[in-house]
Amino acid sequence: MNLSPRIVPLDSLPRELKSAVQPHGEWRLGLLTSLDGSQLITLLLQPVTGEIQLWESPIEGNRYHSLTDFGIPQAHWFERGLADLFGLFPEGHPRLKHLLMHDQYPVNFHPLRKTPLSPEENPFSTRRFPFLEVSGEGVFELPVGPIHAGVIEPGHFRFSCFGETILNLEIMLGWVHRGVEKRMTEVPWQRARFVAEAAAGDTVIANALAHSIVVESLLEVEVPRRAQLVRTIALELERLAMHIIDVGGLATDIGLLGIAASMSRLRGKALGMGERLTGTRFMKAFVQPGGVRKADEAALSFIGKGVQELRKDVPPAIDMLFGVQAARERMSVGKVSHSLAVEFGFVGILGRGSGVEYDARTVFPHGAYPQLAPKPVIEQNGDIRSRGKIRAGEISSSLDVIAAALDELTDGPICADLPRNLPADKFSCAIVEAFRGELIHLACTDKNGAFHRYAIKDPSFNNWTAISIAIRNNLIADFPLCNKSMSLSYSGNDL
Amino acid sequence: MIKLLSYLIGNGVVTSRDICPPLEGGVRGLPALTDSSCAGSGCSACADVCPTSAIKVLSVDEAGSITLDLGMCIGCGLCVDICPSGTIVNDLSTKIATTSREALILSNEAQLVSTISGGDAQQHKIRPDRLFGKSVAARVVSTGCSGCDLELGAAGNPIFDIERFGVHIVASPRFADVLLVTGPVARGMQDALKSCYEAMSDPRKIIAIGTCAISGGVHRGGYAEGNGVTDLIVTSVFIPGCPPHPWSIVHGVLVAMGRAEPRIYQRRKVEMPSAVRTEATQRKALPGA
Repeated sequence: MNLSPRIVPLDSLPRELKSAVQPHGEWRLGLLTSLDGSQLITLLLQPVTGEIQLWESPIEGNRYHSLTDFGIPQAHWFERGLADLFGLFPEGHPRLKHLLMHDQYPVNFHPLRKTPLSPEENPFSTRRFPFLEVSGEGVFELPVGPIHAGVIEPGHFRFSCFGETILNLEIMLGWVHRGVEKRMTEVPWQRARFVAEAAAGDTVIANALAHSIVVESLLEVEVPRRAQLVRTIALELERLAMHIIDVGGLATDIGLLGIAASMSRLRGKALGMGERLTGTRFMKAFVQPGGVRKADEAALSFIGKGVQELRKDVPPAIDMLFGVQAARERMSVGKVSHSLAVEFGFVGILGRGSGVEYDARTVFPHGAYPQLAPKPVIEQNGDIRSRGKIRAGEISSSLDVIAAALDELTDGPICADLPRNLPADKFSCAIVEAFRGELIHLACTDKNGAFHRYAIKDPSFNNWTAISIAIRNNLIADFPLCNKSMSLSYSGNDL
Repeated sequence: MIKLLSYLIGNGVVTSRDICPPLEGGVRGLPALTDSSCAGSGCSACADVCPTSAIKVLSVDEAGSITLDLGMCIGCGLCVDICPSGTIVNDLSTKIATTSREALILSNEAQLVSTISGGDAQQHKIRPDRLFGKSVAARVVSTGCSGCDLELGAAGNPIFDIERFGVHIVASPRFADVLLVTGPVARGMQDALKSCYEAMSDPRKIIAIGTCAISGGVHRGGYAEGNGVTDLIVTSVFIPGCPPHPWSIVHGVLVAMGRAEPRIYQRRKVEMPSAVRTEATQRKALPGA
């Protein structure tokens, strides 16, 4: 969707933003970022009506009053990112620490800033990460990571424990910071989609789709209906495969290995459907600006058959997981309350598990949504089981969406022709419901029609705070399961 | 419990009997080169569409020739779609792991082709060592987008079942024989990777899984210096792909164990354009230092 920014002076930004995001949940803070370090860019989303606003607040110097400090907790992670990437420092931020770049980088290096900072302008003299210290007799620290015991992405967790109980968890991310956002602006725009797909390797279609929507709205290109439906099928296949393996992950961590093995077999089926449709298991290089690359009838009827098989095969395995008493007890912890979920703006499974009725598929147009959007699956308890139940519910609603899209498919073109050049000085954004939740791409072109700034907000960027909240005062043994129930992305956060 | 057992028995044995079978038709593998020379007269269609500059046009004269570096290829398949002369084709083989970085660089240059096919192709085969012939304990260090991690995880599932070959994913480098590296190893993970490697005892091997680990892929040359593991630590096995298919990962680990032959591409360009460094690279100074 194309946007033009409204100028909101920096002085009135906190007041205006606060009145927008309160009372609870009227507007969401979609993005808080900058273009080159000389302004704040605020993207606001209305999660019921689908309205979008873009604010621009020019900054003199490199300091601004922290919005977090003004009572807008949704901003706290964004402000840390702004400090690292742009050298813009929030005054009064309650816990300003580095988020993406640590002592492997020079302290005064800010990759997306146009004019370098002088050392006096930088409040940090080191990039070392100061962990919150919990003191008291018998309190000890447990460091975990960055390299984890299993086959997962890197991150560092610092637990402050008293006996088996976690008093505080502090998370240090940024280990897989690869400079994706900068790279998006370094390559010709026709190649940028391959970089977008590498933002998070499990969110390939969602990222490719968001990127395509951004480019298509800049170019004012209409996507053929057949392509929209095929994109929807691909997005739901991605959701299906990842939800299945995430439910399997719960079974693994509870110790129900038979169910876990079955879930990975079933995920293989979902990936196989994607492979037939797109050519690869992770559906890479398939969704492209203008449409999709191919859509042959044999693959689509194969998917139709696969949907019927999965409808039959998946529910018994999931029912067994939720039917085991021991599993139910293990899944009763890790609570995130509704009020905190709203305050921190948690998205996707995490938000819906705590009763937040927000699913981008029902609000913002992408693919064949909102026409084909399923009714959001909502749970109120906010615990591990709620999140598992939502995955189970969404597995079946995704299968329904795929079936509905297949029914509606008619012949027609699958890709529109694109003009060669992007328009100059334009803003465009896309909001896509990835399997983890709301994914945002925001692009701004320069006077030559190249990307001047390309921002990606992975759903996990909102959600990482939740694990610290949910695990507090729980047993250390419950952490892996709680973590699995949130399925947070390290690479999507670190970019 | 009885319900679970009957469900599992009802599903039968799903583990594949074929080891590393070729991909099904219609599925996209990595590209490969055939005997045909390029369309000539200035054709550079493949190099123009390649998102990672993995393809270089060597000569645009009548014959025309290219090099294709699979270590930089993300397998998008655009070159296969666009090639007018049938020089670049889709390769359905899943046995794509090699034991040297150079072996991933293919060329259809006439002279090179004749040296390889005219000489003894066998002499280019690397005799496998059998250091870890029976079983191997593998530690994984993930530094990328998690695509390769998921495929490595899938290699352990009941269908591919990498454990049946004696491959165990272990939780500590202390008792690991091989180190599987995924992702471009940008600055954030370089120290962690090195200390993980140093914690392993000899003999040890590094396997680079995926194009990012081999060359940095789409991240190559960025400020985060994610240029792959091969620049940092001596790497024994290279598994290209973005991400590689689980069968290709199985193949790569079997190659490291000496239980499978590495892939020998016949159209191999022997010289490597830039030498592979064996020691840790010196960090370039970033502005703001």
